[in-house]
Amino acid sequence: SPKKRKLSQKTVNYFRERNNASEDTDLRFVTCQSLWNQIKSETEQIQEDLNKQLFDNLVSFLRRSHSEFQEKTTEWTCQMKSREIPTAALVLGVNVTDHDLTFRSLSEVLQNSITPYIALLEAKDCPGIKNLMQKLMGQLMNCYVDADSLEDEDHVQVSQNRIRCSMTSIISWYQNITKKTDSETPSKKRTSSSRHWQSPPVVVIFKDMESFTTKVLQDFIVISSQHIHELPLVLVFGIATSPMIIHSLLPHSVSSLLCIELFQSLSCKEHLSTIIDKLLLTAQFPFKLGEKVLQVLINIFLYHDFSVQNFIKGFQLCIVEHFYSQPLSVLCCPLVDTKKRVNSLSHDQCENIRRLPSFRRYVENQVSEKQILLLTADNFLKEITQKLLEDLHVYHENYVSVLRCLHVFTSSLPKYPLGKQIRELHCSCLENRVWETEEYESSLQLARMLNKSDLVTMLQQCVEIFVSSSGKEFDKTIEKLKEFLTQFQELEEAFQEQDGSVSAQKELQKKTDLYHLQKTLLELKESRRSKKLTKFEMLRFEVVDYIDSLVRTYLVPADHKTLHEIMYFNTASVLRGHLNAAPRVALHTALNNPYCYLKNQALKSDGGNISNKAPDICIVYKLHLECGRLINLVDWLEAFATVVTAVEGPNADAASSDQVDDIIHARFIRAVSELELLGFIKPSKQKTDHVARLTWGGC
Amino acid sequence: MSQAGRRERGALEVKFVPDEQVLKHIAEDSGSMGNGSSVSGGEVYSFQTPKRSSKMVELASELAQTPGQIVAAGHSECPEKTAKTPQSSKRPSSNKVQQRSKKKEFVSTTPYRLRKRLAAPDPDLESESEYSASCSEEDEDDQKEGSAGLSGQKTPAKTKAASVSPPRNTLAKKVKEDKMSNLVEEYFEAHSSSKVLTSDRTLQKLQKRRLNQQTLHDLLKKAPLAYAAEIKELNQQHESLFSKWMLHLHWGFNIVLYGLGSKRDLLEKFRTSVLQDSIHLVVNGYFPSITVRSILNSITEEVLDHTGTFHSPLDHLEFIIKRFKEDSSLELYVLIHNLDSQMLRGERSQQILAQLSSLPNIYLIASIDHINAPLMWDQAKLSLYNWLWYETTTFSPYAEETSYENSLLVQQSGSLALSSLTHVLRSLTPNARGIFRLLARYQLEHKDNPSYPGLSFQDFYQQCREAFLVNSDLTLRAQLTEFRDHKLIRTKRGGDGVEYLLIPVDDSTLTDFLEKEDEDA
Repeated sequence: SPKKRKLSQKTVNYFRERNNASEDTDLRFVTCQSLWNQIKSETEQIQEDLNKQLFDNLVSFLRRSHSEFQEKTTEWTCQMKSREIPTAALVLGVNVTDHDLTFRSLSEVLQNSITPYIALLEAKDCPGIKNLMQKLMGQLMNCYVDADSLEDEDHVQVSQNRIRCSMTSIISWYQNITKKTDSETPSKKRTSSSRHWQSPPVVVIFKDMESFTTKVLQDFIVISSQHIHELPLVLVFGIATSPMIIHSLLPHSVSSLLCIELFQSLSCKEHLSTIIDKLLLTAQFPFKLGEKVLQVLINIFLYHDFSVQNFIKGFQLCIVEHFYSQPLSVLCCPLVDTKKRVNSLSHDQCENIRRLPSFRRYVENQVSEKQILLLTADNFLKEITQKLLEDLHVYHENYVSVLRCLHVFTSSLPKYPLGKQIRELHCSCLENRVWETEEYESSLQLARMLNKSDLVTMLQQCVEIFVSSSGKEFDKTIEKLKEFLTQFQELEEAFQEQDGSVSAQKELQKKTDLYHLQKTLLELKESRRSKKLTKFEMLRFEVVDYIDSLVRTYLVPADHKTLHEIMYFNTASVLRGHLNAAPRVALHTALNNPYCYLKNQALKSDGGNISNKAPDICIVYKLHLECGRLINLVDWLEAFATVVTAVEGPNADAASSDQVDDIIHARFIRAVSELELLGFIKPSKQKTDHVARLTWGGC
Repeated sequence: MSQAGRRERGALEVKFVPDEQVLKHIAEDSGSMGNGSSVSGGEVYSFQTPKRSSKMVELASELAQTPGQIVAAGHSECPEKTAKTPQSSKRPSSNKVQQRSKKKEFVSTTPYRLRKRLAAPDPDLESESEYSASCSEEDEDDQKEGSAGLSGQKTPAKTKAASVSPPRNTLAKKVKEDKMSNLVEEYFEAHSSSKVLTSDRTLQKLQKRRLNQQTLHDLLKKAPLAYAAEIKELNQQHESLFSKWMLHLHWGFNIVLYGLGSKRDLLEKFRTSVLQDSIHLVVNGYFPSITVRSILNSITEEVLDHTGTFHSPLDHLEFIIKRFKEDSSLELYVLIHNLDSQMLRGERSQQILAQLSSLPNIYLIASIDHINAPLMWDQAKLSLYNWLWYETTTFSPYAEETSYENSLLVQQSGSLALSSLTHVLRSLTPNARGIFRLLARYQLEHKDNPSYPGLSFQDFYQQCREAFLVNSDLTLRAQLTEFRDHKLIRTKRGGDGVEYLLIPVDDSTLTDFLEKEDEDA
């Protein structure tokens, strides 16, 4: 830990270097770091909770799979005559990058509860069966050393000899180990046997089952099935696609040796929803993401990798960027600390506050005396800032509750005009006033058509949300909602009474003929149409209007709030540039329009053309665009020389022309080899002095 | 974007997004970034359209004219422009001179068939016709365009820029419309014929001596670097971010630099200004013999002070990872110039480097240049690398990076091969020299045959026997083994299993060699 501190001390320096003007950098850095650590542990916790169910199932499967082996009965042997290896097929989804974490925690869990003998295999380490066995033995015996490092003499010897990697050596190792634990001193036995059985199973995890060569897998399965009665082996297949892949990878003769049970992990989308729910839609963390930034992160997730890890990485980058680039982010801290920090703000920082656009807007709306005070007196400013920050905090608490409440309503509407997920709703609420959008309008209309039972359950959910929320302003709201609920209740009772009378009426009418029935029905219909609104409908309208009013008061977009810049990170372009860069586009721009980078008037050009004074590589590139698949170097060189000499103009006299020619030649060579380095062309053997183009058409 | 974005969002939860939408998203995405330039994906990645041979010349002459146009447009506030104005008055005449001198070459690039159709009056043009028209079917459009281009070029003396550009502009417009209408057809048209229409001229006929690396370097030194001030400004912009780089490195990210221009100097600057006091390793990825093993070796030997060998790079990597995990005070900055170079771009190398970079106390800063470099990494590697992308367009020439490349135009191995040839041969017996000369002569005789496979061993033996150079095929084989060990010859098996012998030296060197030999003899 002292080293860590040293390290962070160094990092602080980099933090400081650019904005040496502000003395809050250290504090800012510490805030940033502690915030990130909080968030990190929170995400880990979430991950753990989400995986719990899956791991519990797996653990019980593992317990079950070799229970017979424990009892050492003869029954076991006869059952295992079929030589089936218990196998867990773990369907994890396409977000391969997240799997590593899952496997790591899985092996941890297994180590704690089932067996110390776990081997994690990856396809890239196992190109052949030999490598696989080597890897497997290495991992198994290593974990033995870790288990009890006291008596590892013979083990060390074994590993030094680089024993032949075979199943028999694994079996003898296993028998050795289990015998040892059997004959161990009771004190030792207590520690180990409290967690594990006497002969714990050997778990082999194939992290990425799809990428293994079929041959290796088949061989391994066939070989180990021969020894299953001596070695309680369990396989775990990590599968990214679908469980069908097992059968397409392995022929029937091999897959029949496996006794497969399927386990499904939580989908990455649900994982993301939980993360967003716990990290963003909470008042726990002061730091918030702006609409555009969140959109960028979600888009990267949905369109590129489905990786929750990458989402968190992006979130981390946002935090760093925010604290690095916003000097006022020192105030982005838990509410309890704000007062102290606001009071210790320097004059420069006060000026920074005055410069914030949202604060300017705020000042403009004040009376003139207050304006002057705000702009001149630091102390008054601090007071107001403190108040505004508290407001902001309260706003956020309320915002989350009302957002959830609105989501309860919108998520059950047909066609989801405001989106199915709460993150979509969140984005549209952050973007602009949600009640001004068409989608909101249509969802309100749909909400006015909800039936009673739905409406009641929704209201109950809303009540729950408000009760559990930390906001203090919702007492009235809860009361109001409860009132609605009782009204619905009363309505129901009233209706039941009415129902009774109606049924009595019907009893009377039972004997009427068809004609009369039709007539009465028509009358009923007529009366219904003419009737203005039933009591239920009135109430429904009231409820929807009330929700609407809640939305209008509490779901104001964050950037309408004063001082939102302190809490919200909103520079999406930076984030996109760093995470989702487009190197090809940058090259394209540089080659086609050098003026974008080199701000020289001579390079300014209109439309698609470039000036002939552009850097050599741009000219050569532009010329090569006019060619087909093959380019004649001589033609190319001459075209280049034409352009370049035209620029240099008349001072290229006949006397020195030879010299100039050489230089132009050299420049051409340089530009062409640069294009080759960039991958636009390559030498071609098809024709002498020709190069082949490697890009298509207009690039 | 927001509208579209919401629509997509809505659709996403319900079903899979159709490909077009994803494409659109990507196009929009890339369009809205970069230095405010609106480059759509369609512009960057489009189909190849059939190109006409004269296009390049047209563009060149058009570009050569443009300064006049700019001046006419009147940007006189720029000092450079005012300096140019007197030139522009002189330009027509100077252009004329220059155009006339180029005229012959220009015309020679137009297809032979066209020239015949137009019945060019110039007789020496006809004699210059050496165009290998291999494209059997050319559509009307092509011919029209060719003739338009021709008329434009043939009249440089009487017409100025204005007469050249209009036909091209209208044509361009037309081509554009075509592109819109049947992109797919054009794609297949461009790829249907295996032959491509290019002129037959070679550099040898140009009477231009090949430059070697040294003279090239000297010549380039003489040429002033264009836009030095602007490039410097760009570099300063990038340099101001150094502390941010360090910050990001320490937060667990690795940095990759992209953009046009050599990033070597920038990284060097970074190294000298920030990394002076820390352990760092610089890897010149562009160096042709760099390997991952050598990178790992330098880490173990120089950084970890470990002498010892490893069975495989994987073992090696494991050792390094173990050491770095054990000792958290160990910190290493790795700077890799051109992570996408020939030698490092392989899957295994990238995997090892990615695993190395994923260590918390190894900080990796790398640069990439190749347009397809990002394709090296799949999701797994990307997550190991944990990249933060930085655009660092520098426009500096890739001097160092290209100097190792076997460039097309640079005379690379010629002198070297000649001297080594003579040296090796001087140490051989006269008979052996005779054998080699025989092979060399034979190869030169067949130099015009592009599909020359080499001299078959049997024929060679026959000839050697006839020249009284060997008496059994065993002696010849022993001799050939010696040649092969000195890399003087190469053998390859033909389709019929016969062994063919080749001298892997270009013809001119071989001719030089034979001349020299004859002098000596």
